[in-house]
Amino acid sequence: MNHRKLLRRFLLGTILLFFYFPILYMLIFSFNDSRSLTSFDGFSLRWYEKMLHDPNMLEAIYYTLVTAVVATVVSTAVGTITAIGLSKSRRIVREVVSQINNLPIMNPEIVTAVGFMLFYVSLRIEKGFLTMLLAHIAFCIPYVILSVMPKLRSLDDNLAEAAMDLGATPWQAMTKVIVPQILPGIISGALIAFTMSFDDFTISYFVTGNGVKNISTLVWTMSKRINPSINALSTIIVLMITITLLLVNLLPIIKEKTKTKTTRISKHATGIVALCFVLFITGGLYWLKSGTKAQMSSEDAIARFGSDTLKIYNVGEYIDPEINTAFETQYGVKIIYDTFDSNELMYTKLQGGERYDILVPSDYMIERLLKEEFLQPLNHDQIPNLINLAEPLNTLSYDPDHTYSVPYFWGTVGIVYNKNNVDIEDLEKEGYNIFKNQKYKGHIYMYDSERDSFMMALKALGYSMNTDDENQLREAYEWLKEAVSTMDPEIVTDEVIDAMANGNKDMALVYSGDATYILSENEDMGYFMPKEGTNLWSDAMVIPKNAPNPKLANEYINFILEYENSMKNTEFVGYASTNDEVLEECSGTEGIYADNDAYLPRTGYEKDEIFHYNEKSRKMISELWTKVKIAK
Amino acid sequence: MKTFKRLTYPYILWIAAMIVIPMLLIVLYAFTKQGNDVATLQFTLENFIRFFTDVDFLSTLWISLKIAFLTTILCILIGYPIAYLIAKSKPKQRNLYILLITLPMWINMLVRTYAWIGILSDNGLINYVLQLLGFEPQKLLYTDFAVVLGMVYNFIPFMILQIESSLAKLDNSLLDAANDLGADRFHRFMRVTLPLSLPGVISGITLVFLPAVSSFVIPKLMGGGGYMLIGNVIENQFITVGEWNFGSAISMIMACIIMISMYITRKLDKSDDAMARK
Repeated sequence: MNHRKLLRRFLLGTILLFFYFPILYMLIFSFNDSRSLTSFDGFSLRWYEKMLHDPNMLEAIYYTLVTAVVATVVSTAVGTITAIGLSKSRRIVREVVSQINNLPIMNPEIVTAVGFMLFYVSLRIEKGFLTMLLAHIAFCIPYVILSVMPKLRSLDDNLAEAAMDLGATPWQAMTKVIVPQILPGIISGALIAFTMSFDDFTISYFVTGNGVKNISTLVWTMSKRINPSINALSTIIVLMITITLLLVNLLPIIKEKTKTKTTRISKHATGIVALCFVLFITGGLYWLKSGTKAQMSSEDAIARFGSDTLKIYNVGEYIDPEINTAFETQYGVKIIYDTFDSNELMYTKLQGGERYDILVPSDYMIERLLKEEFLQPLNHDQIPNLINLAEPLNTLSYDPDHTYSVPYFWGTVGIVYNKNNVDIEDLEKEGYNIFKNQKYKGHIYMYDSERDSFMMALKALGYSMNTDDENQLREAYEWLKEAVSTMDPEIVTDEVIDAMANGNKDMALVYSGDATYILSENEDMGYFMPKEGTNLWSDAMVIPKNAPNPKLANEYINFILEYENSMKNTEFVGYASTNDEVLEECSGTEGIYADNDAYLPRTGYEKDEIFHYNEKSRKMISELWTKVKIAK
Repeated sequence: MKTFKRLTYPYILWIAAMIVIPMLLIVLYAFTKQGNDVATLQFTLENFIRFFTDVDFLSTLWISLKIAFLTTILCILIGYPIAYLIAKSKPKQRNLYILLITLPMWINMLVRTYAWIGILSDNGLINYVLQLLGFEPQKLLYTDFAVVLGMVYNFIPFMILQIESSLAKLDNSLLDAANDLGADRFHRFMRVTLPLSLPGVISGITLVFLPAVSSFVIPKLMGGGGYMLIGNVIENQFITVGEWNFGSAISMIMACIIMISMYITRKLDKSDDAMARK
């Protein structure tokens, strides 16, 4: 007997360890002094401090809680009322409604999410907090109905009628007779609704926008690079949930022990305490959130620019947040800062009717936006700092005289390699073809970007990266397919940055700015630009035609070009500044990127090209790249 | 009772707007050409043809189904014994175990999955321990193994809770009766416990298989940027490529596959019921 007990303990213990170990691991590393997720270098609270100073994180917690509370309250009320109504309806109505009601539960989440997205887009509702809240309410109600219905079924049909015969109004019959009977079902429905909303990622991911993020979508955007603040955030969430659940579960026990006779109150009390707790945290966060924002009067801004908000849509982790804070205080405005992973994603949002004041797309995308008449000309009177631009940026083919765009960062694409493990002669001899050299099999990363991968393949084959010749593109596809299937590469996105800085593998195709970071973190790494030429790219600030506040946008562009802000930005992000003076200083002998081969872009090399927009090749490349990835 | 009936009307309007129309929109997009405007709708089967004639998309679908299937099987194999042990515990312990299993589910799925990255990565905890013990480091993160692990980790609580609740409902007198009739431990389990807990297993299967086959978060976090399951293809079409029509078509295909497999599972359940009654 003892034997079996031991075995049972062991099995249950193992599964609980499996459940809790990762959480514990995360908890511990949230107090780690270094960035590492693998070696503990001493106790520190720096990630908590960083988190508390990050308005994005606080905002995300705030939105998550508000959404969850409102969605729970609304869906519980509506769900309960509907369930009661349904139980008295004709059978056919009941059947049809329950079937439709089951759709969001039976359907894969992603399908429901896509449906919401198409719905909002076709009604031209701007994505943001409201769209997220409505979607949450919509997917929570079915769960409430589902958990209330069985309780109603076991309820005597005549109860409400009896109550009304005795003189109760329908309202009284419902609240005094029906609801108390089905209360357990309502409570469990509310709990499910809260959890569903609190944890939701998929649906929120497709329906939010305009800088509104909940915890999940924020973690999603941050998870590509190691960011211990996520651990700090998670620890706080775990703490909050544990406390709430303990309260809900322990209070009845405590009440019982102190033997209060008011058992009926105690039932409600647990719920009330839990709700108060949530409200308390929400309130606290609101206070913190409003505390971190600028205190300057916004009236001046409204008088000068017509509005006190500026909406920016930039690439993720592509700015020193202090710059935005400085702008906010100086101008007395509020910046809504939204980020995207890829130009295509930005384009999709723009096409969906979303309005921004400033976008930061890449060269070829600007060309496309110009062609499709998405952009408005800049007001050069407001941007005197244009003269600060570095010389090579004044001849960019997509917008040579900066009528529509002002460069933000620029650079090249090259190969980061481990100097100890990769023979520089191989690199010089083979160029991009080194990605097919069996010697390095299993030691390479490939970048999950259709344009950059095809650039590499086309250049390796000696073609222009701007070709739209079908045969050449097919050849490039074969090249990539061969590399992917014979070299056992890992196809990665931005996680390549930390991975290379850690020295996980020996070679990767990387943007020069990220390479700058990698080289400064790990001195074994070198940066190589193949002779076959590369992509000389630039990302630039533009103002869309439908921008709500173009005046302030022009002001912001000028602000970015200022020496001090350009310096801050390039130091923080690692990409090459577009400000001439900053560029020279950083790459000069005294500069912070003095010995960094990746920082200063190669200019004037004839085989380097700028990407051009071409609908035909874009479609083909995008389709072929999906197939390359699947082929792996 | 008319008064109560009327309570349903607002919700009928609501589901029409928030559930029916979005679903219809997916169907509409799936059957039309890109760049559509309500004025210039062009119906086509192109999107479906493109999917079903392309070996790569089909193999992605196949892999997704395989991974989801494997996840479900693992969840049953691990979840059943655990659920059994919990159901056999004393009431107080049982509640504690259930609480402990539910608790992690309250924590964000992304956060929980993210936690594994540090453990599995190339120079992560497991490889560190392996090296201490003198083994070669293994590639764990960004593999099929990691994806399945992430899925089992996230979805197994559903399986355990479902099976446990059906086992807990089991009438002990049935087992006593079987005992009296001379059945040994093994037969008691095979002939009484297992068949009676099957409904729990079946609803567990739906709760695991459904999210597993459509997830795009776990494959991306645990499988790396290049790891494509069918959910990732859909996400890719909507978010990056911007071909909503093709994306809608794949969504529809996936929804249909899931509806069919759920229908089959239900049917199996019902026929089992019938068998049991005989």
